[in-house]
Amino acid sequence: MQCKIPAIGVASSNIVHYATGYVAKYQTGMPIRYVSVPFPFTGQPRMVDVGYVTGKDMLTGQPLMTAVVNALTSPLTAEEKVSGAPSEESVEPRLLPPDSEDNLRQLFEAKEWTDFNSIILPTERRVTEMLKGTSHKPDEVIKTINITGGARPLTVEKVAISAVMAGASPEHFPVILALATQAPFGNSTSSMANMVVISGPIRNKLKFNCGTNAMGPYNRANAVVGRAFAMMSKTAGDLRNNVNAWETLGNTMQYNSQTYGENEEALPDGWDPLHVEMGFKPTDNVVSVGTGWSSIASVGASQSIYPTHYLMRDYMSSFCASGSAATVVIDPTVAGLLKDTHGFKTKAQLSEWFSQNIQKTAGSYWGNGVIQSTAVPFALAGLEPYASWKKLPDDALIKPFTNPKAIHVVVAGGKVQTMWFVTDFGIRRGVLIDDWA
Amino acid sequence: MDRRKMLKYLGISPAVLTGFPAGAETTRARVPSANGGSHEEGMITVMNPAIAGKLAARVPLAPPLDSLQGKKIYMVNLSWEGPDAANYFYGAMTEWLDKHYSGVKTIVKVTADGMFGSDPSILKDITASKADAAIVGVAG
Repeated sequence: MQCKIPAIGVASSNIVHYATGYVAKYQTGMPIRYVSVPFPFTGQPRMVDVGYVTGKDMLTGQPLMTAVVNALTSPLTAEEKVSGAPSEESVEPRLLPPDSEDNLRQLFEAKEWTDFNSIILPTERRVTEMLKGTSHKPDEVIKTINITGGARPLTVEKVAISAVMAGASPEHFPVILALATQAPFGNSTSSMANMVVISGPIRNKLKFNCGTNAMGPYNRANAVVGRAFAMMSKTAGDLRNNVNAWETLGNTMQYNSQTYGENEEALPDGWDPLHVEMGFKPTDNVVSVGTGWSSIASVGASQSIYPTHYLMRDYMSSFCASGSAATVVIDPTVAGLLKDTHGFKTKAQLSEWFSQNIQKTAGSYWGNGVIQSTAVPFALAGLEPYASWKKLPDDALIKPFTNPKAIHVVVAGGKVQTMWFVTDFGIRRGVLIDDWA
Repeated sequence: MDRRKMLKYLGISPAVLTGFPAGAETTRARVPSANGGSHEEGMITVMNPAIAGKLAARVPLAPPLDSLQGKKIYMVNLSWEGPDAANYFYGAMTEWLDKHYSGVKTIVKVTADGMFGSDPSILKDITASKADAAIVGVAG
């Protein structure tokens, strides 16, 4: 639908560059006129935002309102009248021109196709070898990546290139292809990251680490599969720093997206593996991807003077609870404690307890930027409980984790210490790896 | 000139420098290399990880207004990290417009689905309100 009236955008200086460049090229096709305020706009005292109106337009240096009037009234340029198919075509050759290894490495870095650790250069022979790890055709499109525009078709062959670059082997390829259905990784100014959990017998077959150092740099399968996710996210998403990747701090967890296997063999009786809780069979091989920002460790072993789940609850109350999402990663010894000492017979019971017992003030809840972006529209639309929470005084306590099914519990680790991580990662439904063999 | 480069220009493989004639024969042509590509004078060919992006079809801008005098301006609050900041901003804009342009009317509306949504109801509302222009923001 088009309104066919002049419209202008108002954005801070960092956004305008992206909006008038990448977004215009790949998404809107419109050279939209902008006026620009200083960055940051959000999170400022009221008087600062109001003051921007009588301040300068960051693009032209004119008074901002003069720039607004000009943007709405000045005649269109020839460029602003262009319509129809783009005059140029975006082309990427299948093979790059022959060059020396050093030059190619420099090219890959200049194009930001790497994570800036050393890569295996994707020769055709290596990619062909990688493709032997699946029955799927190289030109099969897994999904179209359009997160920042461009509608790029991510094919099996392109994923194989990323897998080679990351140092993976053909036996890892079905896992990486399943992971590709969830690409690209989180890309947000809020600096999010991902968590990748491997479930099922394939953990042992491919030697994923589920035990000691499951989340550390001590295992090839964990390392290369997680790294391949970063590679394909960057290449297929065309993610480039300050072009269309705007994570203000970035997140070190993006290097391998916290890839690890659940220690299913060490689960207490009655505690199902993550993928079984999702409805898969125990014999299915599944990769599950979560998105979030934060992880808080127990910083030491569990103590009998304060139940472990109480401390988890306390720490989790600092999370924003966006989508009611959380994932708790616990050592098998902690799982044993929670079951045998504290009576949680299933993971679901523990999730339910968190949902009922984690509290935070309404002020703290609404004071989060992501909640402002995602939950305020619900509140304004009258959707409960957000509408009621919005009316509460700042010091009123609310239970923000309203959906216990969005709180996942994953058991991993080597039974070396009764420690755990609580995280705000929201895990999506898993993907069957066997479909990609 | 580098001896290897000179030999290349003469069509002679630098492998002769190693003193193994058999090796010199094979490197005249492109041959598979140990790293899985093919090489000629240390050159290799690799596959391109990048995917061509589809460029958007160009859409022209709507004709501008001749003046803001007496016009109705629809201000879309994208609710970027919440609606408050843009509401204050648009309030100050409205004050400024009231002072400088007689008869200007403004409507401020918060998108129903936040900064990431498209909220088609806003477009319908803009049309229904017979707005003359729109300001969309504030991002950042």
